[in-house]
Amino acid sequence: MKTNQDCTALRASVIAVRGALITLAMLPAAYAADTAAPDAAVTELTQPKNTVEVGIGDVSDNSYKFGEFNGLQKKGAYGIFNFDLRGGAYDSDSDATRWRFNGTDLGLDTRNLSGEYGEQGRFRVDFGYDSLRRNRSDSYQTPYLGAGTNNLTLPGNWLAPLLPRVNATAPAAGAGGGANARGLSTDLATSSALINGVLTAPTAAQLAQSATIIAADVPAFQNVNLSTKRERYDAGFSYNLTRQLEFKAGFTHEDKDGLKPLSTVSRYTNGDLAAVIPDLISQSTEQYNLGLNYKDGKSFLQAAYYGSVFKNDVKSMSWANWAVPGAMQTMTSPPDNQYHQFKLTGGYKFSPATKLVMDGSYARNTQNESFVTDATMPLVPTTSLSGLVVTKAFDMKLTSKASKDLNVAAGYKYNDRDNRTPVNTYGYYDAGELGASGNTNAAFSSALGLPAGVLRSNANINANRPYSKKVNLLNLDADYRLAKGQSLNGGYEWQKIDRSCPGSWIDCADAATTKENTLRAEWRTRLGEDVNAKLGYAYSERKISAYNENAFLALVPMANVVPVGATASAYATMLALGVNGYGPLAGLPATALTGNQAFFFANNNALANALYGNQNRISELPGMRRLNMADRNRDKLRSSINWQASEKFSLAGGLDFNKDDYANSVYGLQNAKSWAFNLDGSFAVSDDFSISLFYTFEDMRSRSAGNTYTANSTAANVNGFTAIQGGCFATIALRNANNKLDPCLNWTTDMTDKIDTIGLALTQKGLMSGKLDLTAKLVYTDAKSDISGAGGNYANNPLAVTGAPAGTIAAFYIPFANLPTVSTKTTELRLSGQYEFDKNSSARVGYVYARLKSSDWAYQGMQYGGLAGVLPSNEQSPNYNLHVIGVSYNYRFR
Amino acid sequence: MKDLRHTLQYLLAGIALAVLSAAVMPIALAADKPGDSAANKDPVQRGDDAKCTKCHDESWPKPILSIYQTRHGVKADGRTPGCQSCHGASDSHLKNPGSSPDVVFSANSKNAPSAQDRNAVCLTCHEAGKRAHWDGSKHQSENLACTNCHAVHTPNDKVLSKATQPEVCFACHKTERAQTHRISTHPLAAGKMGCSSCHNPHGSTGPKLLVKDSVNDTCYTCHAEKRGPFLFEHSPVVDDCTNCHTPHGSTTAPLLKARSPYLCQECHSGDHGNQVNSAANLQSGNVTTVNGINPPANAAARAQLGARACLNCHVQIHGSNSPAGAKFQR
Repeated sequence: MKTNQDCTALRASVIAVRGALITLAMLPAAYAADTAAPDAAVTELTQPKNTVEVGIGDVSDNSYKFGEFNGLQKKGAYGIFNFDLRGGAYDSDSDATRWRFNGTDLGLDTRNLSGEYGEQGRFRVDFGYDSLRRNRSDSYQTPYLGAGTNNLTLPGNWLAPLLPRVNATAPAAGAGGGANARGLSTDLATSSALINGVLTAPTAAQLAQSATIIAADVPAFQNVNLSTKRERYDAGFSYNLTRQLEFKAGFTHEDKDGLKPLSTVSRYTNGDLAAVIPDLISQSTEQYNLGLNYKDGKSFLQAAYYGSVFKNDVKSMSWANWAVPGAMQTMTSPPDNQYHQFKLTGGYKFSPATKLVMDGSYARNTQNESFVTDATMPLVPTTSLSGLVVTKAFDMKLTSKASKDLNVAAGYKYNDRDNRTPVNTYGYYDAGELGASGNTNAAFSSALGLPAGVLRSNANINANRPYSKKVNLLNLDADYRLAKGQSLNGGYEWQKIDRSCPGSWIDCADAATTKENTLRAEWRTRLGEDVNAKLGYAYSERKISAYNENAFLALVPMANVVPVGATASAYATMLALGVNGYGPLAGLPATALTGNQAFFFANNNALANALYGNQNRISELPGMRRLNMADRNRDKLRSSINWQASEKFSLAGGLDFNKDDYANSVYGLQNAKSWAFNLDGSFAVSDDFSISLFYTFEDMRSRSAGNTYTANSTAANVNGFTAIQGGCFATIALRNANNKLDPCLNWTTDMTDKIDTIGLALTQKGLMSGKLDLTAKLVYTDAKSDISGAGGNYANNPLAVTGAPAGTIAAFYIPFANLPTVSTKTTELRLSGQYEFDKNSSARVGYVYARLKSSDWAYQGMQYGGLAGVLPSNEQSPNYNLHVIGVSYNYRFR
Repeated sequence: MKDLRHTLQYLLAGIALAVLSAAVMPIALAADKPGDSAANKDPVQRGDDAKCTKCHDESWPKPILSIYQTRHGVKADGRTPGCQSCHGASDSHLKNPGSSPDVVFSANSKNAPSAQDRNAVCLTCHEAGKRAHWDGSKHQSENLACTNCHAVHTPNDKVLSKATQPEVCFACHKTERAQTHRISTHPLAAGKMGCSSCHNPHGSTGPKLLVKDSVNDTCYTCHAEKRGPFLFEHSPVVDDCTNCHTPHGSTTAPLLKARSPYLCQECHSGDHGNQVNSAANLQSGNVTTVNGINPPANAAARAQLGARACLNCHVQIHGSNSPAGAKFQR
């Protein structure tokens, strides 16, 4: 396993490819015919020149974000080295040999080398190397040791971070609380805390304990730069067996190595604890393409194979639980998998005006990596998945020029993702915890054929759901020319998607079938000689067969087993009552419930998790519709106008509008809208000086809805206090009796993105007697993301403690507070000048000014004192303000 | 070990290629015909092209002759067209240079035939392969001509290079151009991807002209680690990557359509997914009640809202192959 590689090291593989290419580059010269050259001016146009560019650049500051993909993440000098060598028998009319060897960005981690050699019409070989470094974070910090391996430990002196006081936000160990990462903040550790309604300063002992923790743990946080690098090697070969028959082969091998941030979760007494660890990436993907292509004047036939083999050297990541030093946790890494597809494509022209193209494929995607197991998984019925997905696809399109002015097309598509992975039932404990005392349920163990005690009371008993999807799509299109420069295009599309999980004990799909009908029209016109305009509109209506609110039960097969204490299974009871897992839409029953309803839906509450063998309530709100399987009406409008005012001046504008309306979704995504306005202009002031600019404004909005329901209960006070301030009920008793009916628990969130993008480009050629060209490009963006909302939730008043004054409010209703604006502003100015010394040499100077200013509230939770259950990583919202300058010499030769 | 193995593999492959090249090259070059005299070294004087190049010569304002640097100018390949193969016999133009050739490709020309007719010229040779699905495709139905994107006479056709291809596509796809400047993008601006890494502009069997049969199959060409099949699949992931991601650029990394937890709450309302997440749940939360009172009990910053939000814990969101992974935590 390896982590980062030396970015400047020349790998043997690169040398090998270079060696091969250099061999190719040199050979033609050796064989070149020594013949008279044609006219020099003709040669200048008809024969390629080789170019070599060498120079040096400098980056003013370190920034992983600026250098995210461009290799310029590091402050300091870098080499500029590009070349393009081309050759072959350009001066021959009987030799079709051509070759090319090209290298770009060779001084950076984004270097690329490619070469090709061939005799056109007979064969071609090509090969290449490409490196892509992705910088992920240079502000990430972690106390974990072992970055670059898959086993991460904490320092020997690590102390579980505790804030040794009990308050509303910071429970302490031994007082009903547990680990709290906020204890790593000196500010929090030394501040007074509200404890039982009284603001209390920390005691000397508490301060000392906090200081000990901070002194031990905070120095352990070290910077670990996170980046990954893809290195791709590819080779291709094509050979024309006959004029009609061609064979093609291609191979790509890509390594991906490095570190990226990976969140993890461990378990402590009072909940889940997260930590971001440096995830070791050491993967490779190989892709194969083989093809045999036949064509003649009327038809073509292509047979192809595509293979993709993914291998991961890292089978799992292990890390120490930061609240229980030494207790290791393990998470599975992406498994090796393979995909093999065979494809046949054919086309036939019935006449010059009518053509049929068909395409069919068969693919197998397999995965059989050994499971990574430990003591937290008491029920693992098989050692690996034997995963198999068979995908069959068919596509057919008939096109015809029915008349001089009318083109029609009819198409049909079929795509069947048939997941044939076996279904099994697995038992495990959450987030790496161990089994608690007690048998989960004797009936469940019995149903699974397990002896009592194997599945403890805190086990999850889940079955896998092999999702399958079958798409049928039919479309008809017509394009009619109304007059010269005017045409009307219309189309209709019908799509049906069936979803299922073969082998699952119950239907797993939220919507077994969705059907969507789309009508679209577009009008294109030419207004006079200089203006082109286009206006298009499409309307789609998607309807689902029926929304299955019990689909979640496919995950919990114990819902079909009668638990001890009941006379029917949870599922049978749900069917009998006509409810989903949320239970009746009702408040506290006036009279006590009886029988299975009392057992499964006590107080009209949601189905208790334990009764279907799970540790979380996985049913959804009645009326919740998942966005990809919900009724939806969609409007799309596209418009554009282009005005070529003169040879020198043009202006183009466009307006796009999209609207998705999920009218039948009570909860979940309600609607999504966006519109974008584009304006482009260009002006050639003279033959040598031109200006172009663009502006785009995009506005995207969406609304979601939910409900913070809790359980009905008979509790009537908080430490003896009963009044609620705000909300829909005046007292604790009333609220608790109506927890499932309280309209104040409904909420909506409105998300809005507004982004301005402005671009300006100036080009001046021919200065200094035609020797100097200058360009300037500026791009400025301003993005703002806002989240507002309505609704809220209740919170008990921490001042409502025993002994508080009479009339103290027991609970408050907390209305939704809008989130701070997430803002990103970027400026990028690129200046470049090229001076031609003569027709074979030039110098280039380039300058870049780049600035990013961003703020994002999500980073608050990554800092010391941020979140109780998330270990800080101290990552910062990216900002940079830097300059890049480069000078290079460019030499051209034949 | 992997390093060493790969180094050896590629070293051997490179040596093999070099040897193969050295072996093949002389044979290929030896195939030069003996009659390959200096007299026909000037390509512009060859065959019927000379009818055109006697006027459209090296002094012509547009570099017409540079086509001989391109694949269309390799006369030794019997399939290669001449000027009249594409522009038509143009008898009237030959007699009267003031009139247009039979086929003019410049879209701005008054004499340009329809896009369909112009494309027919190209499709004479280029009908199969990557253009197998051109007829009836989006760009075809939009009346685009091949020459709207391709520059045939230049040896460096912008649309064929990853680094310059986007500026060709962005001439029409302007909203996507703006999206690539957002804080979360694919590496288009860095020239490490082209639009054609994902799209086949000539038509395909996939949606949105994607290079593979489906959105997911296209994404898996670079993100094969997310292909599985996993033991515990996440339904919207195997359904369509674009249920959660937007590929051209986003204000929310990594290329998300909305921020977590709100994105997740578009589908999840059970258990702790039912919570309302407002600024009151941030560390800096300005918590106000209807009465303007700030109850500290609610000042607890909520893990579902901070840092990676839902993905603080449900990290294996693309699917888990762990028997303990049904909640995507392992």
